[in-house]
Amino acid sequence: MIEKIGALWPEIILFAAACIVMVVGLSPTAAVRRLCAPLAGAALIVAGIVAWFTTPAAHGPLPMLPLFGKTLVAGVGVLLALLLAGTPDREYESAIARGATGYDPIRANRAEFWAFFLFSLTGAMLCAGADDLIWLFLALELTSLPTYIMVAVSTGRNRSMEAAVKYFFLGALGAAVFLYGFTLLYGGTGTTRLFAPAGEPSIASILAAQAAGPGINAVAMTGLVLSFLGVCFKIAAVPMHFYTPDVYQGASSAVAGFLAFVPKAAGFFTILILAGAAGWWGSSPVDAGGSLPQPLHQIVLIVAILTMSVGNALAVVQSSAKRMLAYSSIAHSGYMLVGVVAGPGPANAPYTSNGVAAVLFYLLSYGVMNLGAFAVLASLERRRADGSADEADDVNDLKGLCATRPLLGWTLVLSVVGLLGLPPLLGFWAKLPLFTSAISSNEIGLVIVLGLNSAVAAYYYLRLASVALLESPELTNDTVRSSPFPARAVAGLASAVGIVLLAAWPLNQWAMQGGRYQRVEPLKAAEGTPPARVDAGAPAAR
Amino acid sequence: MTHLLSHLASVALAASPPAEGAARAAAPVLGRVVEGPWTAVLIPGLPLLAAVLVALCAAGRVRSKLPAWITVGCLAGAFAAAVQTYLAVVHQPGLAQGVRVLEWIHLSWGEKPGQSFAADFGLYLDSLTMLWMLFVTGLATLIALYASEYMAHDLGAGYNRFYFAFALFVFSMSCLVMGDNLILLYLGWEGVGLCSYLLIGYFYKKPSAVAAAKKAFIMNRIGDLGLALGIMLTFVQFGSVRYAEIFEAAAPYLTLAGEGRIGEIPLLIQLIPVLFTVGAFGKSAQLPLYVWLPDAMEGPTPVSALIHAATMVTAGVYLVARFLPLYQCSTWALPIVAWTGAGTALLAATIGMAQFDIKRIMAYSTVSQLGYMFAGLGVLTSAGAAYHVFTHAFFKATLFLGCGAVMHGFAGQLDLRKLSGVAFMKGWGIVGLAMLVGCLNLAGFPFTAGFFSKDMILAEAFASPTYQALGWVLLFTAGLTAYYTFRVFFRVFIGPKFYEPGDELHAHDDHGHGHGGAHGHGDGHGHAPAKAKATADAAHDFHPHAPGWAINVVMVLLTVGSILAAYPYLISWVPGLIDASSARVIEVAHGGEHAHGTFFGYDPHAVMYYVSAIVGAVGIIFAFVLHFVGRTGAATAKADALLPVFGPLARWAQNKWYVDEFYNFLVRVPLLVISHVLHLADKLLVDGLVDLAGFMPQAAGRGLRRQQTGALNGYAFGMVLGVGVIAAIGAVLLW
Repeated sequence: MIEKIGALWPEIILFAAACIVMVVGLSPTAAVRRLCAPLAGAALIVAGIVAWFTTPAAHGPLPMLPLFGKTLVAGVGVLLALLLAGTPDREYESAIARGATGYDPIRANRAEFWAFFLFSLTGAMLCAGADDLIWLFLALELTSLPTYIMVAVSTGRNRSMEAAVKYFFLGALGAAVFLYGFTLLYGGTGTTRLFAPAGEPSIASILAAQAAGPGINAVAMTGLVLSFLGVCFKIAAVPMHFYTPDVYQGASSAVAGFLAFVPKAAGFFTILILAGAAGWWGSSPVDAGGSLPQPLHQIVLIVAILTMSVGNALAVVQSSAKRMLAYSSIAHSGYMLVGVVAGPGPANAPYTSNGVAAVLFYLLSYGVMNLGAFAVLASLERRRADGSADEADDVNDLKGLCATRPLLGWTLVLSVVGLLGLPPLLGFWAKLPLFTSAISSNEIGLVIVLGLNSAVAAYYYLRLASVALLESPELTNDTVRSSPFPARAVAGLASAVGIVLLAAWPLNQWAMQGGRYQRVEPLKAAEGTPPARVDAGAPAAR
Repeated sequence: MTHLLSHLASVALAASPPAEGAARAAAPVLGRVVEGPWTAVLIPGLPLLAAVLVALCAAGRVRSKLPAWITVGCLAGAFAAAVQTYLAVVHQPGLAQGVRVLEWIHLSWGEKPGQSFAADFGLYLDSLTMLWMLFVTGLATLIALYASEYMAHDLGAGYNRFYFAFALFVFSMSCLVMGDNLILLYLGWEGVGLCSYLLIGYFYKKPSAVAAAKKAFIMNRIGDLGLALGIMLTFVQFGSVRYAEIFEAAAPYLTLAGEGRIGEIPLLIQLIPVLFTVGAFGKSAQLPLYVWLPDAMEGPTPVSALIHAATMVTAGVYLVARFLPLYQCSTWALPIVAWTGAGTALLAATIGMAQFDIKRIMAYSTVSQLGYMFAGLGVLTSAGAAYHVFTHAFFKATLFLGCGAVMHGFAGQLDLRKLSGVAFMKGWGIVGLAMLVGCLNLAGFPFTAGFFSKDMILAEAFASPTYQALGWVLLFTAGLTAYYTFRVFFRVFIGPKFYEPGDELHAHDDHGHGHGGAHGHGDGHGHAPAKAKATADAAHDFHPHAPGWAINVVMVLLTVGSILAAYPYLISWVPGLIDASSARVIEVAHGGEHAHGTFFGYDPHAVMYYVSAIVGAVGIIFAFVLHFVGRTGAATAKADALLPVFGPLARWAQNKWYVDEFYNFLVRVPLLVISHVLHLADKLLVDGLVDLAGFMPQAAGRGLRRQQTGALNGYAFGMVLGVGVIAAIGAVLLW
């Protein structure tokens, strides 16, 4: 146990920072309260640097995933901290500043908001490093539980409350599904350890032994399938996607941007860990690479196709920019599942054949590009008749943005064109390995669906871009104005710069490292595991 | 002087033809690449740096000559790097050197050969590359210096824009020439096309400049389509786009061709060079795609000199020379290249004879000389073609910059009927002398660089038994060339002093629309008077504005360069370089006696010096008699009296043989008709399909949208149902 602490310093730093923020945010002095966000950002930077230098555990099929995942979460987390600036307590704080009311710690939400922000990121990091089912469950829930509160307090309006309640109940349902899956997985293998040093029993080595022998136990396979379907909630994949648009729209744009990345990242880390435990099987058991065991492979494939198609089809008909981005976020999960289906390819496969590296790089790219789009929405406000402000949401609010606010406008254009995957921007280099890895694992049908969906996505992404770039602003319309938080525009700008520069940066080598896959040795039968149930599900093990 | 000339003559005429006589260097090792010097990276790197810095200048709204000095400095650095790299490359003759700058595109979709696609940002350095890069970087440096003065009227945004595109052009050109794969070449190819477009359209408020830019761009697109198809076919056939691997894969075919068994080479392999040729004809302005180049003279003159005379338009020649091994594997490619080149040379020369705008004459002469280069490649004297590229780069840049100086000094006046005796005016001596040297070169006057390089091509054409007729075409064209070149010189630069300023004095009224002319010099040269005066008066107070130090220095350097460009001939420098590169001509074994063409029974390589010297002299004498003797004013010369003799021919030539109108009739009108028809079809049919394609996701979306009721229990039900269905599918699959 104690040796695990060594790999957990980033999480420990974030946890400590969250505790400090929780106290600092309750200070009666406004200047001290404002320290919450800078403290959180600083903690993330430190955690990111520490994560970069942590030595990962040597065992497990994806040994470098924790390093990649934690650094990624910390890096994007810094930008998210910029994006979330000014979200909690906005009206309350301005009322205090006007002298209309005094400071009452009971009514303030700032401390919880920033502490929960850090807790959620801690959870995502823990997911990336999980090597035990219980750990994985707790980490996933640590990622999600704070987000329910963040949604609820994000705007102070009723619709946020409604969104939070929906999100919470449906999230609980999703958690129940994957918890049930985890239970069955435990039942089918007799251990909760996902990975262990060679020779010790773990889910990965027992499943490897079953796959090499009689085929994967039906109970364990049901567990894998249900776990996957439950985690689909976190990544907003069909059939667990229903909540996405309602919750994104109910939350503030900044929190929606957060939701589109952090739970998705945690979900994909989980899926990769589970898939790694199940193993990508080649034509013979000694080959690395190949595809996931049946029927998991078919199910991931079906979910991938449904997810991207449903997400894109629904995004096409939206008039609300936030809902459009919500549906597109569903579609992007579908794209990334293609990489999971493709698998890491044969040993020493080049980057373009490694689907796991493709998923990881796409996650990074999506985090950066998505942030830009939501940052633009969060930086614009629509004034209401009573003088209060709502965040911009309607596509028409973005009309002529490049002319009126060039910085925001071009950030939006770059983000959506990047999300669309147009060369030479980041999105293209992210999507390309998804295509090539799927081709190299012979999933031609999936590639065609992916291509068609990319074309459908062009329809609504280009609409956003053309509204901002080509249409002239409504001159009489002065109801749309910039929000008073320059940090959000800075986040958008950082993302725009990233979309251009990261495309030229050899980050894919980093993702390649993160996606390095090594086969788990099957556990020798003598070493005392519950007897594999030979009677169930033998033929479809490949 | 006489001593030097006679020495030159003895050397030149006694020397056996370099391509044949001198012992040939060992054949180059194609397909093998050794590590090259890292300094080669600076050749594309420094111009890119200059482009970035100038862009920063533009962002900072710099209004000084800073961008010019940045560009000149970086380009001079690139030239130094090119010299250094050249020395390293010739140190290991016959061996290509590679420098990998960064890993760029690596895709693979399987393990088998042909299932991966790799193109690095890597450099392929052999003597052909370095020959090109030496004159590209050297001339670019000089012309950037020249432009620092020439473009000074536009200081500020326009100046920055000019130098940005200029530096970007040199970067793109070095990618094109130095890249080690076809993708990088294509990137450079499109890059130079873009910069050419930007610079032709530099005066974007002038409709004719915009139209010319569009024309250049569209004509080049047609060619680029050919090149793109050629690249794709190369990849399909050879499984790679890297030069080394292509040459390696093509080696067996080259052996077949060398044994005279060219018929056994697969047709698709033979098609590749034909497709490349389409691209080369677009970029290098050959029939039928040449029409953009004369119009490209709408750009500032330094651009015409660098891009549209010396460097970019030779990219096509480079492409053919680089892939000469593939061309020699094709039955049709080289004859197409040869005859198109000769046809273009003749056609452009006839048009050039009848034009009055001196810059356009130079443009047509460029098209014509490019035709010579292609003809040279076609008759398999790649050394002659490359040497002509080299000499032409110098003397044509000299000529253009001389014309630019005139345009600059006489308020945009370029009409040879309105200028006379310019060389005798105060401050114009250097320009006059430079023009004389340039014209002698272009006319092929004995012992000039242009004379030697043209002879190599002419002699080889006559030496080849199948290209006798082509030799005559080129020889006739050489006479025409000498005539129209000296027509310009005799009318504009010597004779009685006379000038009429161009119409760009008007520009004083509207300073907003800049032009490459003379307005806006704040240096007290007594330009046009105050704005209030009528423009009619302006002409009376006009004084030509003699060129300043930057223009004069560059003119002197280029003149010296044009003269010295003859020296490499005497030491067979270019043939040595070409033989050590992929442009080496392979010996084709003929069954039995090697057929050898003759010129009236003489060896063409021996007599062509005298023949072309005589032809050139005749052309010059015609020009002298018709345009100089007895001429008292600028407007008319004896030549006008001859016009009726030629009847409609002269008028047709003046109207450029109505090629533009012909294309208009043949291509544009049908296209307009077709596009109207297609527009209808598009409205009815395609839009319908597109609407349907858009409608399907929309319909699906609307259908699915009903599921998004917002009701919690509905969502939960959907989720559970979904899990159930998918789990059931899983169970079915498992079972």
